Amino acid sequence: MKRTLLKLLLVLVLLPLAAVAGDPAINGRWRLDLTRSTVLDGWSTADVAIQLADSKVGFRYDMTWHSTKVAASQTVDTAQAVDLTNFFRIDQRHMAVYAQPKSAARVQATWIDGGRTLRIEAQVPLETSQGNTTMRIYQEFRLQEGNAELVLIELHNTRSRPLVYHFTKVAEAAAKK
Amino acid sequence: MKRISFFLALILPALPGLRAAEAAPATPARAAYVMHFDGDWKIAGGLPEKALLIGLQGLANRSAPRFYIVHAEGFPWEITGPLEDFYARKHGVKFTELKTTEEALGHFAQYAKGYVVWDPTMMPTMNVAYTIAGLEDAVVVTPALIPLAERHGLKPIDDLRGRYAGQTDAQIYTDAKRRYWARCSHDQLILLGGQRGDIRIPAIADWGVRQKMFFHDLSANPIHADELALEKQFFSELNPGGTIFGWHVYGKDTEEQHTTLISTYGLKMEGLQSLPNLSFNCQFGFTPGFKFTNHHHVAPEAKLVAEPKVYLAFVQSDGIGIGVWTKPGRGRLPLSWGAIMGWVHFSPAALEYFHESATPNDYFIGGLSGPSYMYPNHIPANRFGLLMKEADDLMKVLDERIFEIMDNSAADGNLGNADLTKETVDRYYAAFPDVAGFINGYGPARTRDLRDGRPLISYDYYIDPRRPREEVTADLNELIALNSKRPYFLLVHVRESNDVNSLVEVIKQLTGPVEVVPLDTFMKLAASNQTYVTRYQDPADPKHFKGY
Repeated sequence: MKRTLLKLLLVLVLLPLAAVAGDPAINGRWRLDLTRSTVLDGWSTADVAIQLADSKVGFRYDMTWHSTKVAASQTVDTAQAVDLTNFFRIDQRHMAVYAQPKSAARVQATWIDGGRTLRIEAQVPLETSQGNTTMRIYQEFRLQEGNAELVLIELHNTRSRPLVYHFTKVAEAAAKK
Repeated sequence: MKRISFFLALILPALPGLRAAEAAPATPARAAYVMHFDGDWKIAGGLPEKALLIGLQGLANRSAPRFYIVHAEGFPWEITGPLEDFYARKHGVKFTELKTTEEALGHFAQYAKGYVVWDPTMMPTMNVAYTIAGLEDAVVVTPALIPLAERHGLKPIDDLRGRYAGQTDAQIYTDAKRRYWARCSHDQLILLGGQRGDIRIPAIADWGVRQKMFFHDLSANPIHADELALEKQFFSELNPGGTIFGWHVYGKDTEEQHTTLISTYGLKMEGLQSLPNLSFNCQFGFTPGFKFTNHHHVAPEAKLVAEPKVYLAFVQSDGIGIGVWTKPGRGRLPLSWGAIMGWVHFSPAALEYFHESATPNDYFIGGLSGPSYMYPNHIPANRFGLLMKEADDLMKVLDERIFEIMDNSAADGNLGNADLTKETVDRYYAAFPDVAGFINGYGPARTRDLRDGRPLISYDYYIDPRRPREEVTADLNELIALNSKRPYFLLVHVRESNDVNSLVEVIKQLTGPVEVVPLDTFMKLAASNQTYVTRYQDPADPKHFKGY
């Protein structure tokens, strides 16, 4: 009886873990399709490279604005909430909204939809003309059928219009292009 | 008021444009010629003839306003047509149209002593030719146009073909400096930059030729060390308070680099290289009896109290005359305009035209950063007070009470760090004791202050004309949500090519208790309740360009 209960407990523990494992098809470099996405503001191009490692998901954003190149990396953990300083988001740069330097965003990441969607929720500390504030950000990175497209849908508690970014997969060698 | 009148009495004699206005007779009729240009500025197309005509314009207009050019639709300065009408209506100018270059030379070759040949395969030679044209009273021609010039009795003065073969821009202008600089104006310099590739728009060349300026298109980009060093030599040899007319070269350096460099020498920048007709415009004062009367909405001594709502104010600061002014919709919203104050000196009629055609919703403000376009964080301390005195004087002439500042020296195009150091802010408050307040930025910025009831507010939003209006609406609503204290003072910069009608629709979609107010009202309200945080440029803030 004890053994059966132990097995059941093990199944109950492992099943959710199996369910939350991310689809490795999300690994790789994704390039923003400007024509199908919410219009960028203050950015010319955007790439995001994603790398899974156990419960951790690493992001590297490569953004350009004319000749300017900006790179930002961050890692979320689907096993536990993490505090990230300089949480990166594709911001609207013509708005006077700035990251609070050295302040950390509380970030919770979860695999849903059988590991095909990564959900990220973050409380992001920001600076505006009236001082410090927090923006609650909800993101879903949805792997599309065929694994060649990735859609990022982002909601803010302060914005009624979602930001929708369509990415297509590119070879890592394309990073320099 | 008495104080201002007394002050004006002191400064009016010092302003040449106003002296001309006061001395102007009761607008006697006068004749002038006009040409209508098409939009072909290709080096292999319409440029050579246009370059000839623009230089000829500078010679023809040396002693009297004889030759005016109206530019095609789509030209950066959209006021050449309305201004022609203004000259006819208010100054009694009777224009006769010239259809061809042949006709223009027929009338104006008498003002030239010869021609100088430039090489369209080596574009710096056009600039050198213009320098020679001013000094020697020459027209500039490509080899293909030599027969045309000679048909009008013009003889060769110089020929630049082959002289600079294989030389760099720095070498070419070093040689030109050695040959011509000593005889050129040391108060003004032409930076004939702008487009690269297969077109050039040297519309300001008439002014440079008339005033015998040195023409160049040197780079202020540190990667072009030879060019930068040479340009620094020119700037250091200009007379204090000198002016650089024109614009930087796209792709060679940036607006931020060039304006930073110019400001570092305490010099003034007047754009653009496409600014036309200054040789004509400079010769008209204000019409008799004309006086600048701004549409103020609040008295200087008034105290307003802000309600718990969102106050919006819109400003357009990209060289008045570019874009929105002549487009439908102006007047539907309170909109402030950065008038180009230096035009008091060299284009008074244009300023009068703007004031005459202003609606009650159009409000003029001073700037940009000084008597012309400058980056104040880089202006030497020993030049700051003199320059701002000049700006303050011009504001009083133009009946302006709000001053606009912009310092993009550390910015990345129209984004990034556009903040002022505390030292710079201190200097502005000291230099402009009578203004109602200051605004700052181009893109968004975060320098803010309130002293003696006079706010300094930075833009919280910049409207990119290409951004879909539904996203602009969402952006503004998001700012309103993020800045949740009331009142919230939301200052918006409207890029020049925006459509005012579309802004009216955006405003209808904003949430919360929103009120669009004129800028002077906005400043008075902002003085009543400081819900914005005092802040200056933080040394830790990222800088895209760290300066020289």
